[in-house]
Amino acid sequence: MESYLSMRNISKTFSSTGLKANDNVNLEVRKGEIHALVGENGAGKTTLMNILYGIEQPDTGTIMLSGKEIMITNPLAANKAGIGMVHQHFKLVNEFTVAQNVVLGTEPMKGAFFFDNRKAEADVAAVIEKNRFHISPEMKISEISVGQMQQVEIIKMLYRKAELLILDEPTSVLTEQEIQRLFKTLRELIKQGKTIIIITHKLAEVKDISDRITVMRKGRVISVKDTADVDESEISRMMVGKSVVFDFDKGVDGCRDAVMSLENVTIKKKRQGRPILDGISFEASTCEIIGITGVAGNGLTELEDVIAGLERISSGRVYHNDQDITNITPKALRDRGLAYVPTDRLKRGSSLETSVKENLILTTHHDFMNSGGVFDEVKINEHSKRLISEYLIDGHADVPIGTLSGGNIQKVILARELEMVKDFVLFSEPTWGLDIASSEFIYEKMLEMRARGVAVILISSNIDEILALADTVIVMYRGRIVAKKASGPELTREVIGEYMLGLKDDYSTDDDCSSDNDHSKNDFKGEDN
Amino acid sequence: MKVNRSDWFVTASALLITLGAAFAVMLVMIFIMSETPGETIYYFFAGPLTNKYYLGNMFNSAIPLILTGLGIAFAFRSSMFNLGGEGQVYAGGLAATAVALPLPAAGAFFGITISLLAAVVTGAVIAGLSGFFKMKWRTDELISSFLISNALIYIVDNFITGPLDDPENNLLVTSKIAEQYWFKKIFLPSNLDISIFFIAIIAVLAFYYLFKTHQGYEMRMCGLNPEFARYGGINVGKYMILPMLWSGAFHGLAGAVAVFGTSHACYKGFSGGMGWNGIAVALIARNNPIAVIPAALFFAYLEAGAKSAMINADVTIEIASIVQSVVFFLITAQAIYNFVKFRRKAV
Repeated sequence: MESYLSMRNISKTFSSTGLKANDNVNLEVRKGEIHALVGENGAGKTTLMNILYGIEQPDTGTIMLSGKEIMITNPLAANKAGIGMVHQHFKLVNEFTVAQNVVLGTEPMKGAFFFDNRKAEADVAAVIEKNRFHISPEMKISEISVGQMQQVEIIKMLYRKAELLILDEPTSVLTEQEIQRLFKTLRELIKQGKTIIIITHKLAEVKDISDRITVMRKGRVISVKDTADVDESEISRMMVGKSVVFDFDKGVDGCRDAVMSLENVTIKKKRQGRPILDGISFEASTCEIIGITGVAGNGLTELEDVIAGLERISSGRVYHNDQDITNITPKALRDRGLAYVPTDRLKRGSSLETSVKENLILTTHHDFMNSGGVFDEVKINEHSKRLISEYLIDGHADVPIGTLSGGNIQKVILARELEMVKDFVLFSEPTWGLDIASSEFIYEKMLEMRARGVAVILISSNIDEILALADTVIVMYRGRIVAKKASGPELTREVIGEYMLGLKDDYSTDDDCSSDNDHSKNDFKGEDN
Repeated sequence: MKVNRSDWFVTASALLITLGAAFAVMLVMIFIMSETPGETIYYFFAGPLTNKYYLGNMFNSAIPLILTGLGIAFAFRSSMFNLGGEGQVYAGGLAATAVALPLPAAGAFFGITISLLAAVVTGAVIAGLSGFFKMKWRTDELISSFLISNALIYIVDNFITGPLDDPENNLLVTSKIAEQYWFKKIFLPSNLDISIFFIAIIAVLAFYYLFKTHQGYEMRMCGLNPEFARYGGINVGKYMILPMLWSGAFHGLAGAVAVFGTSHACYKGFSGGMGWNGIAVALIARNNPIAVIPAALFFAYLEAGAKSAMINADVTIEIASIVQSVVFFLITAQAIYNFVKFRRKAV
């Protein structure tokens, strides 16, 4: 069958790192198929797609579309050629409506100066209608859900008459239901004769949605297969060179002493009726991994910030080893030995322009100075050398951490934080966007911490991860705990999913009053009315 | 290491291109403005180096610029903007003079020490105030430092023309400080004094402090990424104030050194330009305390060149201002771009 898109002998080396991201890559995509591009982090998928979309220029190689060689020098040229890309992180203006976001850059005009909002809305409505999206063009981006934002991104590309759509990790932020809806949309688009390239880590989805698969590893194409001919473990083998199943031992019973406990933790913001966190109570204990999950926007981020001391709570108490640590500073919390691997690795977890070496000493830099407050360079160098080899970090101690790949940045953070662990550690979305090998490495470290008797708090929206690791599972929905369960065979993906989507709730408000602190509970009721 | 070197190369070549462009603009202007461009160019470039007087004065005028450049660099490194340099230099000079004037009988060492200390403290308090406001109420230090400085200039003017005015002459100047406090000249007949050695040592110490000490590390981390710093347990509020204190201290000292080394009294408006030029110097030096020394010398060289061209050829002193503006414009355009990029990333 004739290729619709063919990328031939594409090579790309990044001058800043000397990393060969694409090494003689060939990609053939047929008209009207959903083509999955899979591979670990740093395999070169995103680079290849950035080249196709004109964000990066290849060192060598040609791109042919419908049999004609084309030059794609920038995203605008890609749009003109009928190529559209939906990025992992949405690029939308919050204060604009759906229609205004969609037409941005190619706005319909009234005369020479005036933006024709009515025509924009009509045009966008037509695209929505045709593709059966469930969204209104007049809504503001700030009012819609993440799943809908993604729809807007897709509509944006369709409005620009894209024939070939590239989706970079489209499901990473979506709920199960939203994923199903997305897949329905994609199939619909194929019926209309579009072609789709989808980048993903999730093998079940690859199997579910794609027609053919191209597997990349370390900048090269390893294999091209029809999806029907391979199973998930085979794809995974091709990606990493070995098969992976997450199956870990659970913690031992006994030895459970509360290290950190939250009592009725509540955050209320002005002009917001519903508390962002509503009466959260749980204990993180020694020899235990406590897993907290939920869909984005249901309080996980705020809970992370509260545990890390970065967000003040309106009411409730937090204890560490029976001492009241409510609303103490992050510094005081760090002094108590809290180790913390944050969700946001680039803004919070690392300082991108700073060297790996200096990133590694953030939480322990007091240990590297002599009495005059001067750093002991020799000790710092030894420290970074040791951690780089111990944590298998692929990077030099003196280069800015921003030049490392995502997985290696996370390992630097991990190394720094686990170095200072005393009795509690918080991991938040520790494997988000990471490849299987790096994820496994992090899981092993987590289990190691538990075996040492450390209380491990794992916040993650990845249910598989929670199921594989957590001894106790907490599910959050709309700022509240809706389930707290010991792990076991009866606790399945589906069960957790139901709690996550608010279909089930073990802690309805009536139960709550009897079990929890009445005094503070009554306060909330007053607020609600 | 490879990355570091290429990074460095990019920085250096960008700087060379900027300076090249600035000189090209200057040449064009000289050709337009001068009847005898060859002569003018000679005096502009070679003039400052041809006799001891020009050469020494060039170095002398670099002294306060090194200090103000350091002050700005310290603030920048912590992502703080000190736009109040002018007022801090001016007030520092006044404070040192005010302390030194009633002390003619004291020993030189004691008198100089406490006068300089007064200048340092005055500058530090003024700038530190902006840092404090930022910590307390999130006031933008860029605006508050500028406004405070502007108000101060009038207050200092008032002191110079009022209570401290020298009754024996009609100039707007304070009385002269006692002669034993004057910094020793080391390159007669020029004004260059011994303080240049101390200032160079201060620049090296500043570098050491910033890059080799615990406090310097915390300060830089707060500057590069405040959220990262807070997350890691660094007291971010402290590093809104501390760098401003340092910055103000350097500025105050600059004012005192200018008075004790050169003018020996506070003239109305003596600090004119020292604060602003400090920003340019810090930007040329990319906020590296050691690079501040050559950057300040370069700035002083431009000024000396213009003076020499004015005296010996047919151009006006304004050409120096124009060239400095062009250099300032080209360099800040680029450096501010970088700074903004990096501040935005950090926030």
